[in-house]
Amino acid sequence: MIAIETVNLCAYYGQKKVINNVNLKIPKNVVFAIMGPSGCGKSTLLRSFNRLLELNPNARVEGDVKLYGKSVYDMSPIEVRRKIGMVFQHPNPFPHMSIFDNVALGLKLNGLVKSKKELHKTVKWALRKAALWDEVKDRIHEPASALSGGQQQRLCIARTLAVKPEVLLMDEPTASLDPVAMEKIEDLINKLREEYTIVIVTHSSAQAARVSDYVAFLYLGELVEVGKTEKVFEKPKSELTKRYLMGRVG
Amino acid sequence: MPRDFKEKFFLFGIAIIAVLTILPLFHIIYSVVVEGLPVLLKGGFKFLFGTLAPPGDGLGGIGPAILGTFILTFLASLIGLPIAVMTGVYAAEYPESIFGRLARVLLTIMMEFPTILVGLFVMQILVIPMGRYSAIAGALALAIVMMPYVTVYTEEALKSIPFMYREAAFGLGLTRFKVVFRVLARMAKKGIVTGMLIGMAKVAGETAPLLFTAGGANRIYFAGVDRPVGAISLLIYNLVQQPYENYHEIAWGASLVLMLIFLAIFLPLRLSLKEVKL
Ligand SMILES: Nc1ncnc2c1ncn2[C@@H]1O[C@H](COP(=O)(O)OP(=O)(O)OP(=O)(O)O)[C@@H](O)[C@H]1O
Ligand SMILES: [Mg+2]
Repeated sequence: MIAIETVNLCAYYGQKKVINNVNLKIPKNVVFAIMGPSGCGKSTLLRSFNRLLELNPNARVEGDVKLYGKSVYDMSPIEVRRKIGMVFQHPNPFPHMSIFDNVALGLKLNGLVKSKKELHKTVKWALRKAALWDEVKDRIHEPASALSGGQQQRLCIARTLAVKPEVLLMDEPTASLDPVAMEKIEDLINKLREEYTIVIVTHSSAQAARVSDYVAFLYLGELVEVGKTEKVFEKPKSELTKRYLMGRVG
Repeated sequence: MPRDFKEKFFLFGIAIIAVLTILPLFHIIYSVVVEGLPVLLKGGFKFLFGTLAPPGDGLGGIGPAILGTFILTFLASLIGLPIAVMTGVYAAEYPESIFGRLARVLLTIMMEFPTILVGLFVMQILVIPMGRYSAIAGALALAIVMMPYVTVYTEEALKSIPFMYREAAFGLGLTRFKVVFRVLARMAKKGIVTGMLIGMAKVAGETAPLLFTAGGANRIYFAGVDRPVGAISLLIYNLVQQPYENYHEIAWGASLVLMLIFLAIFLPLRLSLKEVKL
């Protein structure tokens, strides 16, 4: 089953075309990595999936993105973003809120829980899912800004999981973290892969090799190659991919 | 001249200029305290709660003026703050819209606008039709003076929030309304509240907008929003023009009270507001 499919997808900032005719099929419940050098359009591509690109008034999209066969442009952006959650390059928990409130926010404001008890239960569930509960259970009401970078990133994952998305977009989630924190996030991705479709953007081919089932190589806004991760890494079809994997591109 | 000496000379010059610029401020505070404190001590509680003394006969009190200043500031806030905050939010959210652009131009003009003309305007639209000065007219004039400050602070506070928090909030599937009011506005709380307090502190001491609107009342307390009301600034303005010694004393006492109210609005601003670390 295909979770996300792009059809002749192009994206522009003003006149500048940064995504050029991308056709991708992302199967359900896999970890799908999008790799490529800096500036090749990974973040832009990812943000077109959940229509977050629309926050930028200069951005424009052509073609289509389908979620389980249905165009995301036929849904409300609200609905799309609830089904397709996102984690960002820089950990961005709301600094004026406690750890608890960060996770509770989406539940409360989207009216997803009926009682205080359910709210607490779901927040705890999400923090457990994000492998953060044990570290914060005694200081759940402290400000989120007091956490370390890696913990903040897992808090952001918990915040996203709390509203029960089906797809998880991760835009270089470990780019600003130290190696230990990065390993924790990668372990977490491994645990979440059974229940979610995860699309992870990375500029590190090593990370793509470690975490993903499928990998797509994006270069200057074009999809160069896509396939099962082992296959692409063992026998890349394109000369460009081969050179990228050997560290000669970007 | 050796370079070292030149530099020192230059720094010394800057220090002198800095002192000269803040000197008047200290002089104002100094004279208000020196002249006003004895009046306050002599007049005691009665000075704060009593009504105005007859010319040449004791200190009496400035109660109606103090209450009037509070009522005017409160009413002006009630009218001005919601509109100003909404306008600020709108201008920050839709900077390219016609209303957003218009708001920005109008606000810059309003900020520089002579406040006495605001008073004249309100006199035309409210005082003349109603046939009398009133608290509501004074409050409206103050609200108009207050709004641009609050709006600009609100807009700036919202705009200074890094884009990644906006993305995070929208990414959760929140409506724009909820993103702005339930997440971003709270994040920008410090800036918005600062703007509100600055607006309030500004109008609490204003005189010109009240001259043709509030009317003044120094012997009776508040009689209704559609009746004339006093204000400390108006009282000072009126008293110093009178030839009576005791009225000048009262004016100094009232000045000290006004300064204390001003500080009472500003101090919490500096002390109690929690800083949001971004
Ligand atoms: N808001 C924007 N306005 C205009 N151009 C943009 C904007 N954001 C990105 N771009 C341009 O679009 C292209 C793709 O950017 P994008 O951020 O998608 O790349 P990326 O692959 O995510 O890069 P990185 O690895 O550095 O995050 C780049 O050339 C970039 O300069
Ligand atoms: Mg990027």
